[in-house]
Order: sequence, then structure tokens, then C-alpha cells
Amino acid sequence: MNDSLSMMATTGLLGYGFGEEAFRHGLEMDLDFIAADAGSMDPGPHYLGAGVPFVSRKAIKRDIGLMLEGALDKDVPMLIGSAGGGGSAPQVALVREVIEEIAAERGYHFRMAVIHADQSKDYLHEKLRRGKIEPLGPIEDATPRTIDETHRVVAMMGVEPFQQALRNGAQVVLAGRATDASIYSAIPLMRGYDPGLVWHLSKIIECAGAVAVPKSGQDCMIGILKPDHFLVVPAHPDSRCTRMSVAAHTLYENPSPYHLEEPDGTVVTVDSTYEQADERTVKVAGSRFERSNRYTVKLEGVRRAGYRTVFIAGARDPGLIAIIDDYIDLCSERVRQQVAALDIGEDQYKLNVHVYGKSGTMASREPVQDATPHEIGILAEVLADDEETSKAVMAKARLALLHSDFPGRKCISGNLAIPFSPSDIPVGQTYEFNLWHIMEIDDPLEPFPIEMVDL
Amino acid sequence: MATLSELTSILRSKNAGALLCTLDLMFDDVVTYERVRDSGVINPELIASLYHVSQNEVSIIPYDVAMAIKVTVPRLVPSGSFGDTDVYGAQQHGPLLTVEIPD
Repeated sequence: MNDSLSMMATTGLLGYGFGEEAFRHGLEMDLDFIAADAGSMDPGPHYLGAGVPFVSRKAIKRDIGLMLEGALDKDVPMLIGSAGGGGSAPQVALVREVIEEIAAERGYHFRMAVIHADQSKDYLHEKLRRGKIEPLGPIEDATPRTIDETHRVVAMMGVEPFQQALRNGAQVVLAGRATDASIYSAIPLMRGYDPGLVWHLSKIIECAGAVAVPKSGQDCMIGILKPDHFLVVPAHPDSRCTRMSVAAHTLYENPSPYHLEEPDGTVVTVDSTYEQADERTVKVAGSRFERSNRYTVKLEGVRRAGYRTVFIAGARDPGLIAIIDDYIDLCSERVRQQVAALDIGEDQYKLNVHVYGKSGTMASREPVQDATPHEIGILAEVLADDEETSKAVMAKARLALLHSDFPGRKCISGNLAIPFSPSDIPVGQTYEFNLWHIMEIDDPLEPFPIEMVDL
Repeated sequence: MATLSELTSILRSKNAGALLCTLDLMFDDVVTYERVRDSGVINPELIASLYHVSQNEVSIIPYDVAMAIKVTVPRLVPSGSFGDTDVYGAQQHGPLLTVEIPD
């Protein structure tokens, strides 16, 4: 182990961008590697389901282009995790295509590892039979049916596949779904740094500029590991980290700031100390890693939820607004009757009406029940197994909402202001999470095949 | 009395994965943080009633080093499932804003 190891996180999400000036300053800091996380499940199940990124190809190409240039120029490894947002096969393939395109355009040559994270149904059935799959939070136990219904499922790799790829001689590692911190922990753990410090640093810098002040959203972040502490400092000389911005970061998107779960253990920050080392740099020490007696990877899987059609309209008639919930119930019943005449049973569709101005944001958790807004927004959605049914139900729902009678109605020409023609918007196949579980495995490499590519 | 809207510097909500919603109450000074932390107002009973969940589903963790209180509850439905209203869970903080903390 050397006295010090330095890494740069270019961006909290590949394709969200980073400042070129910050990046170039970072490159001058004698780095051991550069990396970026490309993934998040925050945008919901659609992107994993459809196998597409939630950022543009152009933005991915811009970010990766700069990173490749920097990594090859400084001759350091470059690691990307959760490629394409969900880290599934089509998403990884897209990012791979972008990298190959850049290499061809610029005449770059390097060895790349592509690590896959998709899981086959056969493999999952076998694990389930052996009792190796359990819920991660409030979701039902997985059953054989859960797995059969799954449209696409990935597992989140830990550090081991990254490390194997590097041992295979990769300079660029393009990984499918991975824990955010594994991307940054792989190399330092290979070099023998303290796991508590390594994992905690990785957790902090994986969001890159999120811990920088002022928050530009464009900053690259530098992490420097020492044997008994680590330092975090923004790459851009005009921004800084504060003790508070760094300490607060473990709150973000985690259920606990003190215990952060990884495949082979837990990062414990109970005794971590945060100290302002200089105006721009924060020093952290005391973090621990408690090794688990088993190795578990998180599974993220989606199933098809049906074709969605949406419809948006406004209402500003006080009489209607006063009774809107009852009115929607009445309309839903009319829809049920009218689609029955089209041979569409009530088990063949779902209809939901969001009422903006009353409960559009919090639905049944909305505490304010007595508001009387002067106008409300209506968002109706229909889900059905095929697009024709979805559109047919929405057409009836629109008609019911527009023209049903209610007591005291004065404006009998229509109850809604419809902003668009066409009014009904089919948004295609939708997905929902059905696997959000952990899977115990014996070999951390087993579910993550590594493909070596020489460019 | 003062409300959490007046006392917090940040009061945010966000998904913690697809199944949980986590709320961070952050403060600018230690006096205010400790006043809220030690008031006993932010307890499982209150959170359960505000978010329509049972008390054993509520997690409340004071985080002294960042002067923050973290509250986590199950989401109404998994992120993006039918009936969801807030895929990112980014606007679920409202009910906490008006909670009153004694002097």
C-alpha cells in the first residue's frame, strides 16, 4: 500500500454533465483512477423495463468522450458502473456502442472489460428454490410466479467483478448494474486500504459535486485515501467541501446515515469524525466496515404493467369542484358500464383520476381535506394489457368526465377545459418493480460475466 | 411554539429505494437542532398518523454530526407503480412543515 491513493468522480450521473474546467483541474492531481456512476432507479421502472437511458445519447457521449481522453492521456483506469441508467443488457450495449464510436473517431486503443448484470430466470428460480432470495424492505416474498412474470432483472455487483476486469488487463471497465460505491472501492481495496475508509469515501464521492459548495451540479470530486483517514475536495478551485456538506451526505437517499449496506458487509459511520482540513478540504476518519457472514446482491426487476393512456384537463366550476370526489366515483361507474358494452370487463383495465389542486401530489396521504381551490387539474390514467383497450377505456372515461350531469350544473356544454387535441395520450407499455430483493451468492463473480474487448 | 417550516434550514423528502420514502430535517444551528430533537414531538406516533402508516414501519434517526433528523416511512406504492403520484418521492415533506415544536 502506498501512502496515498487519489480518485476523481467526474459526475454523480454519467450524462448529467460536469464542468470541463473542474475536470481538467482534477486531472492534474496525480490520480490513480477516474470513474463515474451512470445509474439510478430514481426515475422509476420504465427505463429498466424499456432498456433505455434517462439521459440522451449525446450527453453520454460528451461525458464519456472527456473521461476517455483524460484516462488515456494520464494512463489511468476509467470505471463506469450501472451503464445506461439501469445497467441492463440493452443499456450497457448503448454505452458500449458510444465508447466504440469515440474510439473509432479518435483512433483510441485500449483494453475494455464489459461486465454484464442481467439475470436469467433459470438462475433466479434455482436461487429461489434454495431459499436464497428475500425481500429488501416492504415488498412481498418472491415466488416462482414473480420470477416468471419478470420482464428484465439485474443484480447489483460489488467490487469483485471490477477487480477481476482490472486483473484481466482492462483500462476501461464498463459495468452493468453495480452498487454506486463499488465503482470507487474496487481499486483501493485491491491496494489494501482500510475497508471502512474506502467504502465511506466511495459513498460520499459517488454523487460527485453533490457535496460541493456552492452547488453547481457540475463539479468533479477528488477523494484522497490515506492509511488512517481520507480527504474529500472538489476539483474546481472555486468550490469547497464543508464539514457539514460531507457529514450530511450519508443522509441522502439512505434510510440510515450510520449504516450503509454493501454486498459483503455494512459501512458504519457511528464513530466517524469530520474535520475541516483546509478551506476546501474535509478530513474524515473513524469509519468502520463490518463484514457480513454472507455475500448478498440486490435484485432489481420489473414486469409489464400494461399500456398507459393519459388525459389532462382543467375544471373551474365551483359546483363541480365541491363534489369532485363523488363525481369521479360516479364517472368511474359509468365507464365500467359503458366498456362492458365493448366486452371489456372491469378486471381488464385500471382507471385512476388524479385531482391536482386537492390531492395530486400526496393522494390518500394528503392531510388538507377542506381546501376549496378555484380550479383543479384532472389527470386520468388507464392501464390495460393492450393499447387498443387502454385507448378505448380512456375514450369512455373522457366522455364520462366531460359530459356527466351533477346537481346544480349550469354549464351543460362540458365540464372540463381540455387543452389539447388529441386529448388522449397513449404513452405505451409501462412497467412496475416486482423484484426488489436480495440474493445470496457463493461467488461474487458468478452472476456477472466479464467480456474483454480490445479496441 | 414554532413550526418545522420556521425551524428547519432544509426539510426534504426523497426515495430511499423504490419502496421507502425518507425525510431529512436539517438545521442551521445546534440549539435549534437539539430543541427539535429533544422536544419528543418527532416520534413514531406522529409520523404514523401524518403518513398513514403503522408505528412499527416508521424509522426516526437523529444524526448529531450533521444536525439532522432522518425519518423514513414506506411509500404509498412502489415507485412508478399504478397509483403513484411522486416517482422520485421528492414532494412528500408537506405534512411535516406545519408540525409545531414547543419553545
